[in-house]
Parts: sequence; C-alpha cells; structure tokens
Amino acid sequence: MEDIKAELVAQLQNKTAFEIPIFGGIAIPQSVAVSWGIIILLTALAIFLTRGMQLRPTGKRQMIAEWLVGFINDFCKDSLGHHWRTFAPYLGSVGLYLACANLSGLFGVTPPTKDLNVTAGLALMSVVLIYGASFRVHGLGGGLKKFAEPVAIVAPLNILEIGIRPLSLCMRLFGNIFAGFVIMELIKMVIPVVLPIPFSLYFDVFDGMIQAVVFVFLTTLFLAESIE
Amino acid sequence: MGIAIGAGIAVLTGLGAGVGIGLATAKSSEAIARQPEAAGQISKNLILGCALAEATAIYGFLIAILLIFMS
Repeated sequence: MEDIKAELVAQLQNKTAFEIPIFGGIAIPQSVAVSWGIIILLTALAIFLTRGMQLRPTGKRQMIAEWLVGFINDFCKDSLGHHWRTFAPYLGSVGLYLACANLSGLFGVTPPTKDLNVTAGLALMSVVLIYGASFRVHGLGGGLKKFAEPVAIVAPLNILEIGIRPLSLCMRLFGNIFAGFVIMELIKMVIPVVLPIPFSLYFDVFDGMIQAVVFVFLTTLFLAESIE
Repeated sequence: MGIAIGAGIAVLTGLGAGVGIGLATAKSSEAIARQPEAAGQISKNLILGCALAEATAIYGFLIAILLIFMS
C-alpha cells in the first residue's frame, strides 16, 4: 500500500520538462511543453489543410478543412444566434486544443489537462469571455442589470455564480482526466496485461472526447445565456 | 483507519450521480422512442445533464483522493 501511495504521489507532481537558460533559468512545466507541441501540431495541420485553397474545391484537404470549420460554425450558430461569428474562433480553438490534450495520453505523454493550472486557466478564460461578452452586448448598465434577472432577489446567487462557474468548469475537466489517470494506474498495478486496453479506450478516448465537448458546450451555454 | 473510512464516505457521492444519470438516460431513451426526429436535440441535452450530474461524483472522488494521498 505504501509504495503504491508513494508512486501515485510521484506521478501527481507536475514535473519540469526543461529550463530556458535566461534570467537564471525559467522552469517550463511538462504541461506547458506538451501544450506547445499541440499548438505546433494544430498550426501545421491548419497550414497543411488550407494550402492552395480554391473557390471550387477539388482536393480532399480543403474538403476536410471546410467540414471542420463548418461543423464548429453550425454549432455556434445553433446556440448563439446572430452573435456566432465573434465567438466561433475561440470556441473552436478551445475545443480542438482540449480534444488533442485529452487524447495525448494515448501517445505516452502526460495530458496537459491533468495539471490543475491548465484547466484553471481555461476556466478563467471562459468566465472572462462570458461576462465580458455580457457587458459588451448590453453595455455597462445592461450588464449589471443582467445580475438581477429574472427577479432582483436572485442577485446574490448570480454574483456567486461568477466564482462557481469557473470552479466547476475547472474541477470537472481536471477531475475527470485525473480520475481516469489514477484508475488506469491502479489497474496497471493489478493486471498489467490485456485488461488495461479496453479501460484505456474508455478513459483516454471516450471520456476525453466527452469532456472536451462538455467544456465547450457549457461555455457556449453560459455565453448564450449572458448575451441573449 | 479514520482516513480510509472518510474516503469511503466521500466516494458514496457516486451513488447520487449513478442514479441521476440512469434516470436521465432512461427518460431520454423514452423520448427518442416517441420522437425519433428530435434525437439530436435530446442527446445534446442528455450529454449536458450527464456532465452536470457526473460532476458531483467527481468532486467526491477528488476529496477521497486528497484525503488518502495528501494527508
């Protein structure tokens, strides 16, 4: 029991991947390094898919790019109404990043979303977007008035939600990935052959995808509520 | 010993999440059987509800893990 505990605690620490040798060494955590990898991958994919675009697409690459962008745009149109164009790029980027981050466990690197700091950052970005959009669309007075809807008596609850929403977004994403990681470690300790395969399929692929979708979906839902 | 019992109680939150998600899925299957053309909208709402219900189980699990490994 004690050695299992020690190994799990060791796995949970956010390891430093490398140090940038300026200003006395800036430590780069593993999650940041993997995130950079994902950014490079997605940028390369975007450049590859959109090279030599034509008005009448003939190649497969442009079809894939158009399908992907169209999927994200349709999703935003359905939930956000006529404000969709402003928010579609951000929501699409977060969705793609989260999908890659949650799947990265399959390729033997630590998923960045297992680091609480990453999910907390994403949740903070979401909440700034939600309330920023509310003030942008309704103006300062209208945005403040949104807190007193539907009746004035729920205003304290609406103000509490400023803190609760990012906390629950962050904890949901982190908790799911972390729970999957811990359960996988425990399974690997009990039976290291064959059995981990279906479980890995569930925790790494299915659960990761669902959580990426849920994060974007919840952000969109809160956004739609705040700008309506 | 006390810590282990505490962690066990924390994980009991999974009970509520399991019952909740089961009920939601049952109702959504019923709804899709009645109105197959609304399946897309129904499953969208189902995923959202499941995610919200599941969060309680995750919180319990996190607290159990924190109790065991961080104390």
